[in-house]
Amino acid sequence: MAIYEVFLKKDGRDEYRHAGALDAANDELALVMARESYIRRAEGDRLWLVNREHVLVADPDFIAPNADKPHRHHDGAAVAARRKAAREATE
Amino acid sequence: MSEQVTPGLRDFLLSFADDEHFIGQQHTEWIGVAPFLEEDLALASIGQDELGHAAMLYELVLDLDRGPDSDSEATDIEIDRLAYRRTDGEYRSCAFTEYPTTDWAEALVRHWIYDTFEAMRWDLVASSSYQPLANAAVRAGREETFHLRHADALIDTLSTNAEAISRLRTAVDVFLPMVGGLAGVTENEDDLVAAGVISAKSSSLHEPLRAAIAERFGIDHTDLGPTDSKPESELRRDSGRSEHFAPMISRMREVFDLDPTAIW
Repeated sequence: MAIYEVFLKKDGRDEYRHAGALDAANDELALVMARESYIRRAEGDRLWLVNREHVLVADPDFIAPNADKPHRHHDGAAVAARRKAAREATE
Repeated sequence: MSEQVTPGLRDFLLSFADDEHFIGQQHTEWIGVAPFLEEDLALASIGQDELGHAAMLYELVLDLDRGPDSDSEATDIEIDRLAYRRTDGEYRSCAFTEYPTTDWAEALVRHWIYDTFEAMRWDLVASSSYQPLANAAVRAGREETFHLRHADALIDTLSTNAEAISRLRTAVDVFLPMVGGLAGVTENEDDLVAAGVISAKSSSLHEPLRAAIAERFGIDHTDLGPTDSKPESELRRDSGRSEHFAPMISRMREVFDLDPTAIW
């Protein structure tokens, strides 16, 4: 058995969103079961299934250091001012 | 629709509707006890589809009863009454759909055989001269493709395991004697063929169904047993119900019977 992650999307709207997961013995059974488990009420027009084994998972320690860098959370004001000045200089 | 054809059509529609109704009931009785969660949802959902087909076909019967001049539509109460409250002799179901089982291999094998037969049966009426029936075939067709894919996916997977293969084969042997009755003819099917309501008699599906079963389950065709051990007269839908009918219908009426006068 494998675990498959289920992603759904409505046509013309939003991006694919994670809807849940399911257990299945193979890809075909996963597709068949996902149809009834996740979209029998037309929750989506598009369906992605990803075998969880194929998901790259980052180590929390590897991504943690970014949380303590306030300079990476600027509001863009300084860059906007610089772009404005550059634009006026060329006019 | 000529007056002569109407009784035959009514009988044909009833046999189709009763099969859909009872197979839907059988599937939904697995709610909560199917082998795994995803299948629990899937089989119940497929059962609901079949109940939907039954409701659609019962509605066609009620339209016939009402006659061509009526422009009113069948109410849910009328559909329920037709579906649940006829006398035993007025039902046109067969042993195949009445047979109760708590064996998962049997449930799966019946699901596959039934949906294979159902697809063939919708084909019989796909170009029906009775337009409402041809329309119903279009509506049901898409769902049937999925139902069979679901059953095939499970059987394909199980067919890689020796114990599963043996259990499936045992289940096939349980149902083989009942497929003749499944393809049993209703009253005056010859007239329906002549009028273009159905493209061939129900019994014409018996051999193709057996061949499909043999192929699906890897059984040599000669091992299926005699083609038709019963005369056609015994493969009729009006020849009475199987022993399993009474307990099944009483289970299905359980809630109704709590208060027969309740409005649903």
